[in-house]
Amino acid sequence: MPLRKLLYTGLVCMLSYLAHAQSTGALRGRIVSEEGDQLMGVTVMLAGTSKGINTDESGNFQLDNLSPGTHTLTASFVGYQTQQKTVTVKSGETLRHNFRLVSSTQQLETVSVIGRSEAKEVCRQAFNVTAIDATKLHNSTLDLSHALDRVSGVRVRESGGVGSNFNFSLNGFTGRQVKFFIDGIPMDNFGSSFQLNNIPINLAERVEVYKGVVPIWLGSDALGGAVNIVTGNRQRNYLDASYSYGSFNTHRTAVNAGVTTKSGFTVQLNAFQNYSNNNYWVTVDVADINTGEYFRNQRVRRFHDTYRNETIVATVGVVGKRFADKLLFGITLGQNRAEIQTGARMVSVFGDWYRRGNIVMPSVRYQKDNLLIKGLNVRLTGNFNLGQEQNVDTVYRRYNWFQQYKQYPGKGSERERSLYKFRNNNGLVTANVSYQISEKQALSINNVFNTFNRTGSDELNPTSANYEQPRVNTKNVLGIGYKYDYSERWNTSLFIKHFSQNNKYGITYNPSGTYGDVAYMTQKNGFNQLGYGIATSFFLQKNLQLKASFEKSYRLPETDELYGDLLNLEGNINLKPETSRNYNLGFSYLTNLAKVHRFSFAGNVLYRDAQGFIRPRLNNNQTKQVMDNLADVTNLGFDGEIRYSYRQFLTVGTNLTYQNLRNNTRYEDGYTTESPLFRDRIPNMPFLFGNADASLFLRNVGGQGNTLSVGYNLLYVHAYYLYWPSLGQDKLDIPEQLAHDVNLVYALAGGKYNIGFECKNVLDSKLYDNFSLQKPSRGFYVKLRYFVGK
Amino acid sequence: MFNTNKYVLTVLAIGLSLTACKKEESELNPGTGTPTDGSKVKFIISATPVGSQGVADYLLTADTLTKGTVSTKGSGIEQDGTYRYYVTHKNRFFSLLYGQGNPGAVTTYVVNSAGKLEKVSDFQAETVQVFAPMKDDVVTVKVPRSGNESASFYRIQAESSKIVGEAQVNIVQLAGNGERAHFTWATQVGDKLFAPYMSIKGVAPDGFGTSYPDSAWVAVLSYPDLKVEKVIKDNRTSFIGRYFTDGLAVDEQGDTYAFSSGVATSSSKLTSTKPSAITRIKSGTTEFDKTYLFNVEQASGGYNLTTQLYVGQGNFILTMTSAAEKGAYAVGKKLAVVNVYNQTFKWVDGLPAVSEITQLAGRNNYSPKDGKTGFIGLTLTDGASYIYQVDASTAKATRGLKVDGGTIQAISTLTYK
Repeated sequence: MPLRKLLYTGLVCMLSYLAHAQSTGALRGRIVSEEGDQLMGVTVMLAGTSKGINTDESGNFQLDNLSPGTHTLTASFVGYQTQQKTVTVKSGETLRHNFRLVSSTQQLETVSVIGRSEAKEVCRQAFNVTAIDATKLHNSTLDLSHALDRVSGVRVRESGGVGSNFNFSLNGFTGRQVKFFIDGIPMDNFGSSFQLNNIPINLAERVEVYKGVVPIWLGSDALGGAVNIVTGNRQRNYLDASYSYGSFNTHRTAVNAGVTTKSGFTVQLNAFQNYSNNNYWVTVDVADINTGEYFRNQRVRRFHDTYRNETIVATVGVVGKRFADKLLFGITLGQNRAEIQTGARMVSVFGDWYRRGNIVMPSVRYQKDNLLIKGLNVRLTGNFNLGQEQNVDTVYRRYNWFQQYKQYPGKGSERERSLYKFRNNNGLVTANVSYQISEKQALSINNVFNTFNRTGSDELNPTSANYEQPRVNTKNVLGIGYKYDYSERWNTSLFIKHFSQNNKYGITYNPSGTYGDVAYMTQKNGFNQLGYGIATSFFLQKNLQLKASFEKSYRLPETDELYGDLLNLEGNINLKPETSRNYNLGFSYLTNLAKVHRFSFAGNVLYRDAQGFIRPRLNNNQTKQVMDNLADVTNLGFDGEIRYSYRQFLTVGTNLTYQNLRNNTRYEDGYTTESPLFRDRIPNMPFLFGNADASLFLRNVGGQGNTLSVGYNLLYVHAYYLYWPSLGQDKLDIPEQLAHDVNLVYALAGGKYNIGFECKNVLDSKLYDNFSLQKPSRGFYVKLRYFVGK
Repeated sequence: MFNTNKYVLTVLAIGLSLTACKKEESELNPGTGTPTDGSKVKFIISATPVGSQGVADYLLTADTLTKGTVSTKGSGIEQDGTYRYYVTHKNRFFSLLYGQGNPGAVTTYVVNSAGKLEKVSDFQAETVQVFAPMKDDVVTVKVPRSGNESASFYRIQAESSKIVGEAQVNIVQLAGNGERAHFTWATQVGDKLFAPYMSIKGVAPDGFGTSYPDSAWVAVLSYPDLKVEKVIKDNRTSFIGRYFTDGLAVDEQGDTYAFSSGVATSSSKLTSTKPSAITRIKSGTTEFDKTYLFNVEQASGGYNLTTQLYVGQGNFILTMTSAAEKGAYAVGKKLAVVNVYNQTFKWVDGLPAVSEITQLAGRNNYSPKDGKTGFIGLTLTDGASYIYQVDASTAKATRGLKVDGGTIQAISTLTYK
């Protein structure tokens, strides 16, 4: 590929451009407002050079590798008057210069819109990344998956209400092809008790969505992107407590608190709880319990869909020590129980079957910048999940939607009799080392090591030897990245990732040749793959950024795909990794009219060329599913976003995503001619969708420092076919979705006390993400929140 | 995907006696639509596109099976997914789901006076492994492969598309050997329902394995109360039928012929020592006829039969696997014609080479029961599917209707005025 060659040549040139070592000096300082508040995101520039930095959450900045002499240092921030200082840089010394910025009343009105928060800062990376500033949603009742649903390119498909199964899709990649992280740690193995559909938005400070190209510091085998949830706290001491109540007997509580003493001892606690009966109204054909005859279009309540989870994340440790910037020990404890109301179609209804799970996960985190030598930063984390998952289906009944049931004698079930309980014994160690080679160049190495050893048992079937067979694997992802900041306007990152996986599993054989004689033999296999990528960003003007990125990505088969889940999924030890070539090209542009009308535009074009998608098929007696490398898919898509704000009074935005996912499997297995489905649109995937939102902020309503805001959100999803578009007549489809949500938030005392009201699905529309599985009817929610921090 | 060929009533309607159908014209449930039994014949071909995901079956119709082309491209009635199963009875076409253990909707179609398939009803049913016409009903059986100890039998009244009866059979007790009786199929024999079964362990990881590979069993059930009256056993062959496959056929004299592939397994290894063979249960008896055994494995020179299609007058079309291809789920790509009366065996000529065939629909093929004609669906490696007409009297096959964009799952027929 010429592009890659060109870039490679470029890298070689850059490497030869290495800056000579010379004695330099440094400047550091803190920037505060007139009131003494630490200001984050203030741009500090050394005039006449390309050196500049933004202040961190504490208002601190540091500029290194400055040539000695006299310079002009400027600090500028939207809403504040720019300040300049003449400073002297001395070789080998770090001099301190603090600023106290004075607000400019005229500009202050736009601070909340244009003042670059950390979330916006993330978006300035060369990667195709969208960051959600979660703090702006802390008064809403959203969980993380619903917040993500508002990002362009993202579609979260739910099968029901609170805690229901969801399918996350990013630019057409779904399921495990997209990886999730929390503070940079892969969440693959957290089990059902700590997942996107139960983590409240208040736990997050921001959420970053990397599309197609994933930086190496998120070390994982993501095929089509990654989501990183950042929980970092700006304050040393804080308390954020909220409770919400709403329709369908939904209760949610979240408490986040932290204390850090002067001596650097820190304790942090995140606790949250969700409970909902999910007994929302649905319209369904109800089968007569005896004859099977349907009563058409009955409006009934769901009756076996209660979900609850309780999770605590506790962390204790030290910060700001000589040996460690952070050394934290934590434990995550949680449990959940989910009743299962329906099968894959709404006509199949259950009344007793449920699943439950828990998480018991000790963890450790160590972080030290400038370890031994300056510019060498180290981060280490580890965790081990001892949690269990269980499926409980032991009641021999058949229900219908009128909650009538037939009880059968004997041992049976609603679907598949099981009390199978398993533990995956997942361990995870991540190491990240970065080194600032020079002012413009940085090198980083990231390694993620995973272990898995499934053990399980079923009290209904204690003798089954299958559960004793080895099902062990280890996975390692090593990434090496190089970043070159040519200037503030142009930077480029290059990276290589090495994936390896080793599997150990048992197969049955007949040792003696006489029938009935069974033994197990341990088999091993594994593979190694090399992925690579590049991301580059260029500012044409200060307010116009161009980005391009590429990655050859891999996803290794997951453990249950390899070994089965012993319920409905049969193992396939011969699975190969999925692979894709992901290309992104994007721009973002900011402008304003008379400084009161602010506009931002962003657009991305992307192309995905994926091979060997792991997809389910039925096994050869059609009793279980088995995963196989089945499909090749391409996607040429675009997404765009336009936002407008007027002073601090109004903000309006809309985004739209189009994805043209096409079947690229030219020859199906066993056939010599082109498949009739070659280049047909992939069915059962949304291809055109978007969001629109509007918010009004009314200041000082009912008292100084109180804000009343009114918000509206619209979700649009174009209808799509359940099965291949080119085939057949009388086709089944998933109809268009138009969902309207409104909210009202009253924040008192500068945001210390907050009351939020929300109405979801205002028009009580019948909404579907999956064929026939109706989403919640209209619901009302209230949320009370108390927040204090310093 | 399975045999319609045993569904004697349907077959009579087309091939032999139109008067048989005319008796059915009354007593229809109001509002469920009226099948227009008549002299015109419409063939229904259920086709599955070749694809790795998101595939649904399509119902295509044709006036003849001997020529022409039908295509799934932009035509055919879309079904909710694939792995669906089709049965015709009382001039109605039922599209059943295989819902992975979940209950779901069964759709009933008739052919209207314009010759078009028309949906007349849908109703809730369980995922089943066996479905067969029995008197006025379609009997379906949900056979648990582990866990549950009872198989559920349902009587679906064909005319009203309603479940009118249900019975439980404890399959662990029925097997009586510590394993489970896993019904392969069920067939109306006189007033009784004959349900052959395989013995399976029902315990992972060898759920479909057995320690009893060398016996055949047939449960004899009363009707309509579906009580097991008797189990008849024969140790000359392995089990009758196969997983999801019909292994019994009743001839014009009322004698029942039983087909065994000899494919019992243990830990995925074939363990049966018995040959693939045909045995008999004489009309009016509920015992195997010890005087009759047709060793097909020997007659074919080492091949095993996999499925059978009765074409009348003692003639059957069999799909055959070689010793190398033999397996519990393999469907043979070679066809043979046997006559069970005089135990003759002939390979069928005129078919594409085995290497050119991707899939052969071993079950759910069609015969007018004229003593010689059978229609078999084939899909070739070039992606084209054809219905081949096999003449049992000459053992010759000729290419007929082409099906574009799909493999053939079932060939069925309904009549209309």
